[in-house]
Order: sequence, then structure tokens, then C-alpha cells
Amino acid sequence: MAEPAESADKRHHLASMLMRESLLDKEVQRSTDMPVFRMLPDTHVIKIGGRSILDAGRSATFPVVEALSTCLATHKLIIGTGGGVRSRHVFSIGIDLGMPTGVLAELAEADALGNAHILGTLLAPYGVVAIPPHIFGHLLPLFIRTAPGVIFTAVPPYALWEHPPAVGRIPPHGSDAGTFLLAECFGSMSLTLVKDVDGLYDQDPKHFPTANFIPQITATELRRRELETLPFERILLDLLDHARLLKQFQIINGRKPERIRRALAGEHVGTIVYAD
Amino acid sequence: MRYELLSELGRYLVEGSLSDARLLAKTGQEPPLPILPKANVIKIGGQSFIDRGRAAVFPLIEEIVENLGRHDMIIGTGGGSRARHAYSVGLDLGLPTGVLSVLGTYVSMQNARMMNYLLAQYGIPFIEPVQFAQLPLYLAERGAVIFFGMPPYTFWHENPDVGRIPPHRTDTGAYLISEVFGAKSMIFVKDEEGLYTADPKKDRHAQFIKTISVAELKALDLQDVVVERPVLDMMVSAKNRRSIRVINGLKQGNLTRALNGEDIGTLIYAD
Repeated sequence: MAEPAESADKRHHLASMLMRESLLDKEVQRSTDMPVFRMLPDTHVIKIGGRSILDAGRSATFPVVEALSTCLATHKLIIGTGGGVRSRHVFSIGIDLGMPTGVLAELAEADALGNAHILGTLLAPYGVVAIPPHIFGHLLPLFIRTAPGVIFTAVPPYALWEHPPAVGRIPPHGSDAGTFLLAECFGSMSLTLVKDVDGLYDQDPKHFPTANFIPQITATELRRRELETLPFERILLDLLDHARLLKQFQIINGRKPERIRRALAGEHVGTIVYAD
Repeated sequence: MRYELLSELGRYLVEGSLSDARLLAKTGQEPPLPILPKANVIKIGGQSFIDRGRAAVFPLIEEIVENLGRHDMIIGTGGGSRARHAYSVGLDLGLPTGVLSVLGTYVSMQNARMMNYLLAQYGIPFIEPVQFAQLPLYLAERGAVIFFGMPPYTFWHENPDVGRIPPHRTDTGAYLISEVFGAKSMIFVKDEEGLYTADPKKDRHAQFIKTISVAELKALDLQDVVVERPVLDMMVSAKNRRSIRVINGLKQGNLTRALNGEDIGTLIYAD
């Protein structure tokens, strides 16, 4: 399989299925659609909101920590943290100073890292470890077998390479996207986003008391409804479209911490968004 | 009064939802600052260029050296044949896109190291993503740096629309550096004159395209294109780098012409 192939085009190729092919050719791309191996099928990825939980301090965070600790005996948890209000602040200063999207993405990682350490400190008595981003992906299989749970910086390592958004300058891949992409790559069993609302509403329930709750919805239907705000990053809908392994995620209310255990057990206790 | 230190935009950002299109629009009212407006980003192809070995690479290295001191160059490298091999093996084993991205990163890193050693006597460093904070110094001191073109998404790489191969590879990684730094140009060095209506290596009737907009290029719906398709989408959303140039680096002088701003190869631009 690995003999060098001399070729008429004067390039040195390695014999392989993709030898001499343009990876940009649509037919070649279609030919690569094969089943995907699940690396960590018994794990659950769960994101603890920065602004919604950690920034609210002790009253919101401690019950969530306690709920997580009771789940560790029965579930392998991969716990992500966002940057919360400090990321919003650094975005506003950064934009004012003329920083491009890639720089804002680089700055946001630091806030999520800080929150990973905060949560890591509180979960340390249970043996949960916060792992630095540069080794996290490679060492995750080791840590998840030796510790009951791990914590990571949920903002993905896009940094200077963040994609320019269609509108404005905010990095499109935030901590929701980072947890989704990780769960998809490692083939985790579920993704749960822990926020401070029960799930998705047709309007922001914090501003509109008459907002209607939406218990479940598909990505296509959600796009069609053109809601003004969502309790998660819009890019998750695109990621769901392209997902091979992770076909749904659930948003739950961390202010009702017993829902964390129930969500991990597969119960429908918030809003579930499905791929079509 | 809690947030009295914040600007109006700051208050919106701290209190509002980042999924709100009106809020997002406010964040784009002022253009970002060009960080390195005099620098040129150059991407050297893997399969199309470095895999050809000495015959292709040495003359290009000479030309890069000739331009030191005249043009600042941030040089990214492609993957090529070994990346294709690694992807093939990985696909056969069912590895996810994020793992294939890691494999592709290692190959473009090998190519970056080789370019680095060829330029070592001129003091040109190879930098990994964590070293990008030193890039402005190296550029000011030596006039060029080498980096691996693969964006550092690794396990967090998005899946492609079709198939399993990482969609954001070395063209995209190099392009995004030109966008984030507000660079003067983005030049892709390949082994064809530029963009054709089909792969000129496989179709003798393929026609050369001198200049084309992203919208026109998308309307053509070509089976194969010379640059990764996500670059075209990103150009439309880009704040700084809204055009790219594809040149044939096998012809000596082409890189210099492109650096001098001459209309060589194919220019693709966002309207």
C-alpha cells in the first residue's frame, strides 16, 4: 500500500485511495463517506454555562457542583466551561480597540480556561481534573479512564484561525460549539447544555413572561421560525446538519439541578434539538 | 450603575444575547484594525509543489530569498501526498474528521520544517500556533516566517458537507492568517497557472480563468476548484482580505510579480 508511485505529472505520490486525487473534487469527497468509529461511546459531554451558572456565584454554582458530583458514580463526565461575562467584556474592549474576530477568539479562550479552573477547584474533592487545552484531546482517553470526570476549556482552539462571521465580529465558535465538536469527534453518548432557563422559548423568557416553551424541535424547523434569540450558539444548527454521530442535544436549567442527573439518564427534562 | 465603566456596546454585549442579529450587527459597525498591513501571506502547495522535490522547491526558495527585505512574507505550507495517504488509512479505519485533522497537521508540519531548514541560513524561523505572538518580531527582524498551513482545530474540526475529509485544510489556515492580520495579499503558490474550468491535469479542454468573483465562481458549480471551497465562503464574510491570487510557482518570477502587485495568475475576489 505504501510504495512510492512515479507518475506522469512529475510528482511523487504515495499509493493510496486518494493518490493523485484533488481533495476538492466533489466525487472524491463523496467517496470518503464511510462509517465513523466511536472513541468514547460511554461518555457524556456536559457544558456548564459561564454567564448563566458560574458568574451567578455560589447560589447557582454549588448546587450544580453537588448535582455533578452525584452523577460521577454512574456516568463518565466530560465537562466544558464557557467564558461568561468576562468574555463579553473583553469582546467589547477588543472591538473598541479594533481587534479582529480571530484575536477576540484567542482572548475568549482565556476566560473559559479561568472558569475551567474555578469548576476544577470545586470538583477536586471528587477526583475530577481540569486538563489544559493543548494536551486535552490527546490525553482525554487516559484521563477519562482514570478519573471519574474531566473538565476542559469549552471554547475550541480556533484562536487566530476563527472564521470571520457573516455579521459583526463576535467569534462564531464559542463554548457551545466547542462542546458539540468534541462530543461529535469522540462519539460521546450525549451532549447537555446547562443554562439558567428551562430550554428554548419562542421569545427570551427573561424579557417576555408570556413566551412559549418549545420542548423539542428540529434544526430545520428552528431555522424556519427565525427566532430573535436562542439560548445557545446559532452555529450548533449547522454542526447538527453535518453531524455523523451526535444527532441531538438537550438544553436544561441548572437552577433546577436535579435535572442534570435526569438528563444524563436520557430523560427529556429541557429542550431537545434534533438533526433532521 | 453596575456596569458604568462599559461603553454602550459593552452594555449590550454583557447583558444581551450573542444569538441576537441586532446585537451582532452593532459589533460590526467599525472595521477591525489591520494588524500587519504590509505583510504578504504565501501558501506553498503540498501535492502541487513541495512533493515535486528539489526541481520545484529550490528555485522558489531562491525567489523567496531575493524578495527578503523587499516584501514581508508569512509562508504557510500544504500537506500533499502523505496527507492523502494518512487520510486514506484513517478513512478505512473509520477515524472521525477531527482525528484526520490532527494527521493532516503533522504532514503540513513536516513540510514547514523542511522549508524552514532550506531558509535557515537566512535566519527565517518556523513558528507553531503558540508562537504567533512572536511573529511580528521575526517579520520585522528577518522579513519572513514559516508556519504550517493547517488551522489548529485538531479534534474540534468541523465535519464537511460531504464525506469525511477535514474541510478546513492548509488553504483555509493560510487564508485565515491573511484575514486576521489584515495582510496586503494572499498568494497561493501551486503548479497550475491558476483557476481552470476543470482540473487541467485530467481535462485537456479545461479553460483558464483570469479573474472571477466568488459569486461567479459559485454559479459555475465546478466539479473541482484550485482552492479549498471554504476559503470562498470566508472571503464573502471577510473584513480585510477579500481577494486571493493563485499563481504557478513553477515559473520563476511569478512569485515576485505577485508580491509586486502585478496581475499574474488568477485573481478571485468577493464582490
